[in-house]
Amino acid sequence: MAAPAAERHTPSFQLGPQRVVQMDGEQLVRVGARPGLLRYIRNIWAFRHFLQYDAHARTSSQNNLDSLGRFWMVMNPLLQAAVYFFIFGYILETHRGIVNFIGYLIIGVLTFRFIQGAVVSGSNSIAGNQQVVQAFNFPRACLPISSTVRELFATVPTFVVMAVLVYFIGDYQIADMSRADITLDWKWLMFFPAIFLGLLVMTGLSLILARVVANYNDVKHLITIGVRLWFYASAVIFSVDRFADRGHDWIITVMYYNPAFCILDIIRDAWLYDGLGEPFRWIVLGGWAVGAMTIGMIIFWRGEETYGRER
Amino acid sequence: MSTPTSPYTPRRATWPGGNGATGDGLDLDPEAFDNGFGFEAIEEIAWDDQPLTQNAPQVETVDPERVSVAVDCASKIYRIRSNTEYRNSTKRIGRHLQRALGSGWSEIPALDELSFVVNRGETVGVIGTNGSGKSTLMKLLTGKIRPTSGEVYATSTPIMLGVNAALVRQISGRENIKLGCLAMGLSPKEAKKKFDMIVEISGLQDALDMPLKAYSSGMASRLQFAIATSVDPDILLIDEALNTGDAQFRARTKKRLDQVRAQAGCVFLVSHSLGTIKQMCTRVIWIEQGRMLADGDPEWVCAQYQEYTDHKSNGRMRAAQIVYDRTRLKLSPIQVEFLEGTRPTKAS
Repeated sequence: MAAPAAERHTPSFQLGPQRVVQMDGEQLVRVGARPGLLRYIRNIWAFRHFLQYDAHARTSSQNNLDSLGRFWMVMNPLLQAAVYFFIFGYILETHRGIVNFIGYLIIGVLTFRFIQGAVVSGSNSIAGNQQVVQAFNFPRACLPISSTVRELFATVPTFVVMAVLVYFIGDYQIADMSRADITLDWKWLMFFPAIFLGLLVMTGLSLILARVVANYNDVKHLITIGVRLWFYASAVIFSVDRFADRGHDWIITVMYYNPAFCILDIIRDAWLYDGLGEPFRWIVLGGWAVGAMTIGMIIFWRGEETYGRER
Repeated sequence: MSTPTSPYTPRRATWPGGNGATGDGLDLDPEAFDNGFGFEAIEEIAWDDQPLTQNAPQVETVDPERVSVAVDCASKIYRIRSNTEYRNSTKRIGRHLQRALGSGWSEIPALDELSFVVNRGETVGVIGTNGSGKSTLMKLLTGKIRPTSGEVYATSTPIMLGVNAALVRQISGRENIKLGCLAMGLSPKEAKKKFDMIVEISGLQDALDMPLKAYSSGMASRLQFAIATSVDPDILLIDEALNTGDAQFRARTKKRLDQVRAQAGCVFLVSHSLGTIKQMCTRVIWIEQGRMLADGDPEWVCAQYQEYTDHKSNGRMRAAQIVYDRTRLKLSPIQVEFLEGTRPTKAS
């Protein structure tokens, strides 16, 4: 950085002859220019190993300050599920009208934890990684994508815990809870496409938010609030039907078009109620996945040249 | 194709009060006591219309095959968040608001517009005191940041080789090497092939499995440098790299650097060591206070720079200023022009 303007002395002038250099610019490229969209996507593909290794390395070192280490990757979601169960299931009794409430709650809380983590860390991925951005030349979209993938890696133990819990205590009854049998069959596999589509939605949202946060840091504070609202709009701890008989129909519409609710509903249907997920949920989720990915990619790509600057 | 704007105000020739501004602390208005003194007889020269430099510019055409980097009027003003910016605010309400919020933008001019063209095969030294804008120029050249005005063109993306490659503190040195290689665009296979070489250059065989936070700062910068040398770029930027580490490490890096330099088409070397610069460079650019002061023969530029820093370090500001002005006077600024329609826009 140069001296402040006041310290500089202005009157400097040259006596050397002015020279004009003419050249043919065919051979040259503009340094740091943003490539075309297709080319950009191809570049991201070329950096897939970096992406995967970055996600892997950071996941594996995530808990290395704790003496219990990766045990927390399992313990944390367990405790969280327990807290939600205690407050909403036991004290507030939101379980009315829900079959297999314990399984319903476990799937809701733990899956939403993944969704929330992916969006929050993805949105901070450019602003929080300025060092890396300024040191290396790679397509910047690698960072939001990598952070979402990292969240997926980190959540794998959680999903295993979730499956085990749902299978063993998902249909456990306390007091007046209603119950249906949980059977382990091939329909449980619907979980994978649902999470995959969810991952695409998260990546798309991360790409959009990463650019916004990189330009306007203030948005970070709003994201926390937004995620909280989203939590309540996704029927994580209560059932949608709660609103049906009270004239709040618009809330139901919002929920039906909410990708997070779609993911939760599909997984619940597959695991708890022996179904394949309503087709409408799949359509909405698929639409979100395609839309968010396309729009997110375009928005992020258009800002490609702005991410490296000082803030 | 804007011409480099230098506000042309010759020091002794502007008459105080002549154009509304009184300068140099002389607050007399010459018109006021102009009775028979003969001021009318002095011919007024409109300096701004015809500055001395406005001779017909010499037009040179360069062979496009030889050009490696062309910087066209690039300038940089950093715009960063600062919570003390309210002090400079002139509006009263705005000032209090900014103070209460503790936010504001402060603008830091880092580089004035500068242009130069570097040919294939040249080794260009970049010198300047701390805070003169050398690093900013390097960042512009690598495309990490966009210039505020102007553009940088090159045959391929220049690669910076220095001790600032980011490393992840929580993971081990081994993983950092792999991550760094992948981040530079190597495939996993190439990364594996380069691994031994990187370890050898860094000389950290014993510390490879420690997490990076256990490294001393010297070790970390050695590792960073070693990772950065694993690519063979066509346009190479070296930032103060030769000055890190102990003697043993320096010997090893020098060997590797010579290899890389031999392969590179064009090298920029930023250093405070005039010895290194004179030894390696065929051309030196001196940047001071964000301005290009000189561009040319290493011996001459280094001699001027030496004199300037000597004066500065002994507190002779006036003398330093004279060297500054004198050097800048000799500079013949260039202006980059592209033939009709060949200005590059595409990305690499």
